[in-house]
Amino acid sequence: MNRTRVIFIVIIVAALALVGVAALLRTLNSQAGGPLVAEQRGPIQVRVLTALPVYDWVSQAARQFNAEQHTLDGNVIQVEIIAMDGLSALGKFDRDEFGALPADVDLQNLSDQQKAALARFPTAWIPDSRYLPELANVAYKERLGRDIFLTDGEYRARPIALSLFAWGLYQSRADALKAKVGDIDWQVIHDAAINPGGWPALGGKPDWGFFKLVVPNPRKNVGGLAAMVAAAGEYYGKTSIGTAEVTDPAFQRWLGELMGSTTDLGGGSAYTAEDFALFGYSAGDGGQLLEADLLKNMEGIQTRWGEALEIFYPTYVTWFDFPFTIWMGPETSAVEKNAALAFQSYLLSPEVQAQAVGAGLRPVNAAVSVDQPNSPFTRWASQGVAPIVSRTDAMRSPDRDVLLALLRWFDLNVGR
Amino acid sequence: MSKAKQSKAERQAARQRSQRITALIATAALGVALLCLCGVFLPLLLADRPASNSPTGAEDARTATLTLAYTPDKAELMRTLADRFNGQKLHTDDRQPMTVQLVELTPDAMVAEALAGPSFQALSPDSSLWLDQLDRRWGEAQQVGEGAIAPSLVGESVRFAISPVVIAAWENVARDLGWPDQPIGWQQIQQRAASDASFRWSHPSTNVASGLLATLAEFYAGAGKTRGLTEEDATAQSTLDYVSAIERTVKFYGEGEAAIMQRARQEGRGFLDAFVAQEHLVVNFNRQQPGDRLVALYPSEGTLWADHPLALLEAGNVTDNQRQTWRALRDFVQSPEAQQMVLEAGFRPADLSVALAGSPIDAANGVDPSQPQTTLQVPGPAVVDVVQNVWQYTKRKANIFLVVDTSGSMEGQKMAAAQAALHEFMAQIKGNEERVGLVEFSSTVNNIAPLDTLTNNRWQIEQNIDQLQAYGNTALLDGVRTAYVRLQQLGDTERINAIVVMTDGQENNSHISLRNLQREIQQGNSQGVPVVIFTIAFGDDADYDVLRAIAESSGGQVRQGDLNTIRQLYRLLSSYF
Repeated sequence: MNRTRVIFIVIIVAALALVGVAALLRTLNSQAGGPLVAEQRGPIQVRVLTALPVYDWVSQAARQFNAEQHTLDGNVIQVEIIAMDGLSALGKFDRDEFGALPADVDLQNLSDQQKAALARFPTAWIPDSRYLPELANVAYKERLGRDIFLTDGEYRARPIALSLFAWGLYQSRADALKAKVGDIDWQVIHDAAINPGGWPALGGKPDWGFFKLVVPNPRKNVGGLAAMVAAAGEYYGKTSIGTAEVTDPAFQRWLGELMGSTTDLGGGSAYTAEDFALFGYSAGDGGQLLEADLLKNMEGIQTRWGEALEIFYPTYVTWFDFPFTIWMGPETSAVEKNAALAFQSYLLSPEVQAQAVGAGLRPVNAAVSVDQPNSPFTRWASQGVAPIVSRTDAMRSPDRDVLLALLRWFDLNVGR
Repeated sequence: MSKAKQSKAERQAARQRSQRITALIATAALGVALLCLCGVFLPLLLADRPASNSPTGAEDARTATLTLAYTPDKAELMRTLADRFNGQKLHTDDRQPMTVQLVELTPDAMVAEALAGPSFQALSPDSSLWLDQLDRRWGEAQQVGEGAIAPSLVGESVRFAISPVVIAAWENVARDLGWPDQPIGWQQIQQRAASDASFRWSHPSTNVASGLLATLAEFYAGAGKTRGLTEEDATAQSTLDYVSAIERTVKFYGEGEAAIMQRARQEGRGFLDAFVAQEHLVVNFNRQQPGDRLVALYPSEGTLWADHPLALLEAGNVTDNQRQTWRALRDFVQSPEAQQMVLEAGFRPADLSVALAGSPIDAANGVDPSQPQTTLQVPGPAVVDVVQNVWQYTKRKANIFLVVDTSGSMEGQKMAAAQAALHEFMAQIKGNEERVGLVEFSSTVNNIAPLDTLTNNRWQIEQNIDQLQAYGNTALLDGVRTAYVRLQQLGDTERINAIVVMTDGQENNSHISLRNLQREIQQGNSQGVPVVIFTIAFGDDADYDVLRAIAESSGGQVRQGDLNTIRQLYRLLSSYF
């Protein structure tokens, strides 16, 4: 064989080898794109629907978690946090907008469309309160015949932080109101709200206008429902509220007068506490909001409006416990569920729990205290923030019928 | 030559031939190999390459170009933010370039398009009011049962800039009203306008937040309430009478406060005495305009915040990459760098750690950072809808002549576009008590539809528009004069009197000269009824200078339009009536 032929054959063989390698690479590349793979290749994706009050803290933790390259069975875990109000998420679960599979589905024969839809299915949900996944379970029990969020066992819902509803009033307004009527409670706020003389009659200045209450829109923020349930608790002097109480005409009239003093009857955003800070006393003199949201905005309020809020704790306390709840259906793999569990453990670690305190949340890990240096609980103690709040008079979680009755009342009487 | 030498030469030639063949074969083989490599690797490489700037939409499943609709009142800020964002040259995980593309729309047009199938994936109206309205209409269309948790078309929403709605008044006017010692509210403005015929004030129509607020304030005052306005309050005859009386004092409406502010710049102190606008426009006017200063009056009954939400629209046309762009944009507009741009543009930043002290929001620019002290209660979306609808019947009525060029050059696409634009204009004039007439001109003035209420002639005008045909020359000046003379003869001082004239060509067949027409308009406006003339230069061949001269002689405006914008232009001009 002469040299020419040797060169020719070498080049052809090299080219064919390269083609073969490239074709192999291409095949692997296209296989990796499938949403439902038997074996995990590449990062394990964990998508967490997260309630708004803990979103900033959980997002920050997720960024740290991702940067630290945590692994499961040799695969890196990547956590994606999706902000969603608890009630909006419940609505999406109710309407099956995430695309849960039917009970009798054959997992081996999913259509491409079904596979694509499952690629965005949430792995876990951190709602505001434990009663929300319980309500979602009701809907899925009817549809699938079983619970989809567990209350016991390894994958059970675990609270990751706590916060409670407290009164926050601009200092100038709180001073005037306290001097006039004494302690702040729902009845005092109600009477201030309906006073036809406005602030001048309440001991305030004429240019403050009328008393303006801040309550989240219950259609956008589950805190709005919590506030209405808390108001009912004080109205009736009890911690457990049923449908009969919230549909009582006398209570509804009282609640209507109270809600009539909000400045935005139609909308408002889901971020009520931020709005309270952003628009200042012009849009709201005070309201009952989540303590964590109030603490998060205290500094900014003082910077922008030149005065801080004063915080008061109500007689009947409503707690949010932000349970980390793992979806138990076949839409997410066992590997993804375990990866979500790993992120849950991370959130409960002392370091991350300490960050929760920095965000104005109360830790669930007993090893962490709210009294740490630079904690907003110590920073704002002079404004009434209490490190320890009695839980003896905690409001009980309302059932689904109570929530729907309140939403219906709101739609017909306030949100129209 | 010896045999040996000959043999050597042959061997040498054969070797050279062999080397050439080897080189040729090697080149060919390399070429084949390269082609194979290209065939296999090129698709892989291209898959990772950023796409060119293709149009947005669901048709391109990988596009990361996010189209954002915004309102004209913050055009400059949005362009600055978008340029800065695009300048970062960010890419998605799969190497698609993250780009923000802007489209300017009024809030009501934004809502209408969002419901009909939007060309944009994100929106930033001037107020959250429009997002509420959008969701309410969307919920109604979905027919969700009462008490059920309704779906939402508006997805994630953030705020990055806010500005209170104020009454902008020239400083001497403000002092006359009692500023800065006495609180000044909507009632003082309304009373002054009712008692002093020379007091000229204006607010935009209710399709922008500031116009809606001014109107709400009138309805509250008319109902004798300061909060809890109901549908029954808004439709009570006593309320309607009050609002009608106030609206009769309004000089004109308009497409928005940015356009009004532009005229204030051009015309100076001779323009209106007071008008409703956002605070940031007052700040910027005073920073950019030497001479007479505007002052922001924060209404004592309460005002409204233009909160400029930035929201993702969950209309089913958002790609995963566009969501990545959205997240990046959301984070960017809230970043310290962007928040500083927001402050520099005269808005109050949403980031509360940004102090207003030492910023343009100060007394030197006619504003007060500690204001407003209180806000007016915004009723629920259903009541807001009623106020918007009822306002159409209580606002100051108008006599409007549409003057249309039907010369030969309008034939074809131009005529079709003009007809669609005229129909759009008619659709926007909702109140049947408005009077509209039509003058058609080509070589002469012909086919005049007399001025009459739309109760009587809406159908006829629509028919006339459908029957427009292009032929002949362009007697533009005679067409304008015909309409003008008729309005003067009517002599109606209660209503706004206006002419909207459109031409695509050069005046070439009128009996009256431009100079004489201008003189007649100036004389008529000062001695008879004031008639404002809006002129539209349709296409590049229109005589812009003549149109401008006509508009300016009446205190009106000239606008440039083309096949793509003529419809929107007529829609905008309808907001003046």
